[in-house]
Amino acid sequence: MSHLSDVKVLFSRLCSLKTSAPTLRYGVRKFSQGDKPLLKGSVTPLPPLSEPMPNLPPVVYTTTKSEDTVTEVTTLSNGLRVASEKKFGQFCTAGVVIDSGPRYEVAYPNGICHFLEKLSFGATHKFPTRDVMLRELERHGGICDCQGSRDTTVYATSADSRGLEAVTQVLAEVTLRPQLSAEEIEAARQAVAFELETLAMRPEQETILMDMIHSAAYKENTLGLPKICPKENVNIIDRGIILNFLKNHYTPERMVVAAVGVDHEPFVEYVQKYFVDMKPTWHSQDDDAFIPKTDKSIAQYTGGIEQEECEIPLYPGSDLPELAHVVIGIESCSHGDPDFVATCVLNMMMGGGGSFSAGGPGKGMYTRLYTNVLNRYHWMFNATAYNHAYGDTGLFCVHSASPPNRIYDTALVIARELANMAGKVGETELRRAKTQLQSMLLMNLEARPVVFEDVGRQVLATGKRKPPSYFISEIEKVTADDIVRVARRMLGKRAAVAARGKLSHLPAFDEIRSNMALGKSDTPQGRRLNLFRA
Amino acid sequence: MLKVATTLRLVSKQGNLRLFATAAKQHEALVNVPPTKLTVLDNGIRVATEDSGSPTATVGLWIDAGSRYETSKNNGVAHFLEHMAFKGTSKRSQTDLELLVENMGAHLNAYTSREQTVFYAKCLANDVPTAIEILADIIQNSSLAEPEIERERGVILREMQDVESNLQEVVFDHLHATAFQGTPLGQTILGPTKNIKKISKADLQQYIKTHYQPARIVLSGAGGVEHNKLVDLANKHLGSLKNTALDVPQITPCRYTGSEIKVRDDSMPLAHIAIAVEGAGWTDADNIPLMVANTLIGAWDRSQGGGANNASFLARAASIENLCHSFQSFNTCYKDTGLWGIYFVSEPMQIDDMVFNIQREWMKLCTSVTEGEVERAKNLLKTNMLLQLDGTTPVCEDIGRQILCYNRRIPIHELDARIEAVSVQNVRDVCYKYLYDKCPAVAAVGPTEALPDYNRLRGGMYWLRV
Repeated sequence: MSHLSDVKVLFSRLCSLKTSAPTLRYGVRKFSQGDKPLLKGSVTPLPPLSEPMPNLPPVVYTTTKSEDTVTEVTTLSNGLRVASEKKFGQFCTAGVVIDSGPRYEVAYPNGICHFLEKLSFGATHKFPTRDVMLRELERHGGICDCQGSRDTTVYATSADSRGLEAVTQVLAEVTLRPQLSAEEIEAARQAVAFELETLAMRPEQETILMDMIHSAAYKENTLGLPKICPKENVNIIDRGIILNFLKNHYTPERMVVAAVGVDHEPFVEYVQKYFVDMKPTWHSQDDDAFIPKTDKSIAQYTGGIEQEECEIPLYPGSDLPELAHVVIGIESCSHGDPDFVATCVLNMMMGGGGSFSAGGPGKGMYTRLYTNVLNRYHWMFNATAYNHAYGDTGLFCVHSASPPNRIYDTALVIARELANMAGKVGETELRRAKTQLQSMLLMNLEARPVVFEDVGRQVLATGKRKPPSYFISEIEKVTADDIVRVARRMLGKRAAVAARGKLSHLPAFDEIRSNMALGKSDTPQGRRLNLFRA
Repeated sequence: MLKVATTLRLVSKQGNLRLFATAAKQHEALVNVPPTKLTVLDNGIRVATEDSGSPTATVGLWIDAGSRYETSKNNGVAHFLEHMAFKGTSKRSQTDLELLVENMGAHLNAYTSREQTVFYAKCLANDVPTAIEILADIIQNSSLAEPEIERERGVILREMQDVESNLQEVVFDHLHATAFQGTPLGQTILGPTKNIKKISKADLQQYIKTHYQPARIVLSGAGGVEHNKLVDLANKHLGSLKNTALDVPQITPCRYTGSEIKVRDDSMPLAHIAIAVEGAGWTDADNIPLMVANTLIGAWDRSQGGGANNASFLARAASIENLCHSFQSFNTCYKDTGLWGIYFVSEPMQIDDMVFNIQREWMKLCTSVTEGEVERAKNLLKTNMLLQLDGTTPVCEDIGRQILCYNRRIPIHELDARIEAVSVQNVRDVCYKYLYDKCPAVAAVGPTEALPDYNRLRGGMYWLRV
């Protein structure tokens, strides 16, 4: 008992101490606050950052000049194209754009390009380890990355313009002379496996859904082949398979070496030296007779449905409910098609995004997927339009997500909204979409890496680069009739559907299709849906 | 607004790297970027631009106000105001504002940090006058209508849940709460729930009146912006703002306390931990060597794979011995203080080893870091800073932030010279000054049982050998 009262006394003392001394709170130094404050005075003799440093050499700045958007293109003796453009700034971006990707994997186990992404910028003949190569880049303040889409693979580096020769050499080494040692391939195998695991654990579904919608749209051919390495292939792909793929696809006429922020002549010279005069790893003496074999088939649009019943992981710590995802797509046109620009305007007009998405005004709040869909049906969490354009075809699709018990309504609302594209086009919304597309184009091109990729891809596809001003005026020319024509052309095609999550409420494929049929657009949106259904 | 505000705040937290302008070799007199021009208006507004003549532009208002200027009673007001920004003004309704911006193909955005409030617009160069008019309207005539205030309360409470699901944010909030306990820097930006529930129109108006003083506002522009035109526009739309408060309120120095917060939750798979010491304020010349030291520790995550060839020793150790999922060193600056440290995410059983490796690297920085390592880090630091400044928005942010922090924009050749001037001895000295035998602040969330107790961590801040 006595102990207890002692404790009580002690407590009350402690408490009274605490409450009686609030004024001292800032005055008392505790040992954790250090017995002395940080020393005054800097470790360097230089003045604070708010004052200029003395004895700097005089400096001459560049003055405003209109951006030089002339792209020079040279074709070298072996068919390799070199493209470059000048730009403001101390840095340049250079890289290789290759007509290679999962769409060409039909004769190979799928997933090679996924492996190649992981293997990029590894050891090469000249650089015995990745470390040596990175250090070489680092000396010129360089960074590198490799990204692939379904039909193009891009190796890019950004570095100080004065390091252009070294950068060109690095690019040639990593694309034409990689070592692909056993350890590297093993590491890539692990990285791919790790990525597959992460993809399955993450609530974001876009990557998987894009593979699914392409596979529904182009069943078992070209663009329908998976970009994500299928699980069963992770342990199959080996050095021989990869080298064989490289030998057939990384050929000069399928490649463009491009740079932004450099002078053309020296660049061509370096490319000649490292890409042409030095041969690829897979080159051998009897190679003169070698004719690369690639899949030259044109993408066959099939349409159809691809679905996966599964649990979609939740966002950790968030109160977002479990979602089911459905993507509805239709064939649009290639990026070379005269209707391409109008399709992009239509995509902008559909717009959309997440219902809780970020950003203030300017994120497309008055696009159709917001005004006609997200603002009306509050159970929907996302509705976004995409247009994927390729060399021989294109895929226009709308991704949407909602709780699984609403997926029926969601799919039909989106299908009708797509059908509605062939209906009336308002003057204001068209004007807005055109301006937004123009400004989006120009804003994206602020960044040097984007310009580089644009140059590389355009030259690869057409042999030259059309300047932004060309697209700006093309966008300006698009009329309401163009939009309707493009929409009708698309809606004539069979739909492609991809769905993932708990799908017991998903409407049948034919029901989605019939809701997208031309002529459906006359019925006002949503009126016929029972919003109060469980 | 939700997510962008969150991520931008996040960036500004680790944002020290973004702070500086492009750098060039000292011996080169010619710099391949346009100069930054600065004009001070009669009422004290500073207008700063970098005109690159591009067809697009970013313009914005950087205001020297943020959660640091709040008391425990009104903590959250600055952020609340950010939310009210696009809800209409006395001149135009919310819909009018939205349509105006959307029809121009422009973007409006806002974010709040502990010391700065920012409103900016990205648009076509021809639309800069409209953008300035909108920004000026927003900060001067925000209508702050009661129904909107009520609605935004709900949105902010929702945003709080979002922040809670971002564990990095949570850990950094805890880190500030413990390192700057009992001071305004310890407060969160969003404010506590009870404040958000009762912040009134009068609170918001009072905050604007006290803090949106022209002498504390910077108008920054980058891209296709002509300096003289921007000055004219500023005079026209912001010239009538008066300095009503006498001066920038004297900020109370925020006392640093070496201490810890652990929020143990064994149901989480990974532990998220930040360890830091008190760093330098914005203008302190020590910042440059501190940033070099920061770069020496570096950043890494598992998806980068073979960190075995990373420049950072810690990255190599982490990847070879599988010490963590990711780590990132940071140097966060405030006016008179800062936090320099590391944030990492790790499996429960790896925490102890990770902490051991971190502290060993830190002690190496204080005692035996080599010339080769420092040279490599200096190069990397320059690259990182140069590559950040691609596009009009990053440049505009850089200008706005620097003018607020330094009252000038550090010319790139000067920055280059300052980094170049950092010697091995400077790095050792600066680390000895800020790191060696100092009490760390620690914040940990998740399965933190294996995190060494505070006294052991404190014991790792010195070596009984040299």
